[in-house]
Amino acid sequence: MAMPPVSPFRRIRAAVSPYRRARPDALNFEDLLRPQVEYLYRLAWRFTGSVADAEDLVQDVLIKLFPRTRELLEIERLRPWLARVLYHQFVDSVRQRARSPILELATGAESEDNPLDALPAMEDGPEEHAERSGQRERILRALDRLNPEQRAVVAMHDVEGYSLEELETMLETPLGTLKSRLHRARQRLRALLPMEPFSAGERVRE
Amino acid sequence: MECQDFALQLDDLLDGQLDVARQKSVQEHLGRCPDCRRRHEHAKAVREAVRKLSPPALHPGFMDQALARATRAAVGGPRPKWRPVLGMALAASLVLGVALGVFFSTQSAPVQTVVLTIDRPETVRLMFNSARPLKAATLSLALPENVELVGYGGRRELSWQTDLREGGNLMQLPLVVRGATKEELVASLSHDGSSKTFRLKIEVDNAGRPGM
Repeated sequence: MAMPPVSPFRRIRAAVSPYRRARPDALNFEDLLRPQVEYLYRLAWRFTGSVADAEDLVQDVLIKLFPRTRELLEIERLRPWLARVLYHQFVDSVRQRARSPILELATGAESEDNPLDALPAMEDGPEEHAERSGQRERILRALDRLNPEQRAVVAMHDVEGYSLEELETMLETPLGTLKSRLHRARQRLRALLPMEPFSAGERVRE
Repeated sequence: MECQDFALQLDDLLDGQLDVARQKSVQEHLGRCPDCRRRHEHAKAVREAVRKLSPPALHPGFMDQALARATRAAVGGPRPKWRPVLGMALAASLVLGVALGVFFSTQSAPVQTVVLTIDRPETVRLMFNSARPLKAATLSLALPENVELVGYGGRRELSWQTDLREGGNLMQLPLVVRGATKEELVASLSHDGSSKTFRLKIEVDNAGRPGM
């Protein structure tokens, strides 16, 4: 593995003002993270495809980071550093989730009056069905078929615009591995998303 | 250049990473190969479609709530997560359960079972479905002997008041088992005089999971 370029997370201890050092961590944490929460949510949503999962992911990252507020104060380029933390949290959470089943607790109706007796909301109503049939839903489903690492490289490179060389440093992953993930992810997306909805041509076999 | 060679250059072409010589060669091939032109157009269109996919707006209260929770969690430990699950999130979760062969349905099994390893925290995910939104429903948990909710060590009975949205509401309970247990975890959800009780049997995997 080639040596990564100079870290984008270079520390600038001298730039941390005495005023900030003296403030309570909670205030510094809010100042640092509030401008980043929306970005983290957006990236988390691109990783997960779900608002609920994205919010969980961001919440978990914030909880993990608060005890490291002093360290955060010294990070020059906070956004890519946060993206890296989010990425690792995402991959870890997918692995953890794979080990923990969902227990469906809605039961058959015992009383028509009791809303808690509702049948599981597993079947689409007409509105949901129409939404699912849309292009947005098709793309989300296709992204959902990628593995977490492939999905993350698509989100960070193709959407957020990080170069593969930047990602090599950020994610501490060899460039060749990233290229391979990106290649397979794009190939799979093309296979899952026929040409017709995207441009006026006929489908090309991969 | 042949079509196979073009396919190998496609990623670099999309990323603008071709050097002058390869760029020239690729453009010459595209000029005479309609199949590869379509392949290129398709690749650009798919990438553009993924780029244009935008997340739903951030929930208005989320930012304040998330920052406040992060700073409080350092003092009080993590709270169980409780949130509604809609649309794709629910579908994806269910697909995952089915794929693992561990999806449980209460239609035929009133008491469900989960297997935990001693001293290894695991998130148990409970899904509650509601026919309509419920304001201020109360969820009570009774934990069996030797089972702890992470952050609430030593407490066997806990309850929260929460709003439920229509449809799936997912609760994530970080549990850790400290030893053998024979009792069941009991979760009761009550609202406006009516209530439902769910039971969860917890088995202890002494051997741990292979390959972990």
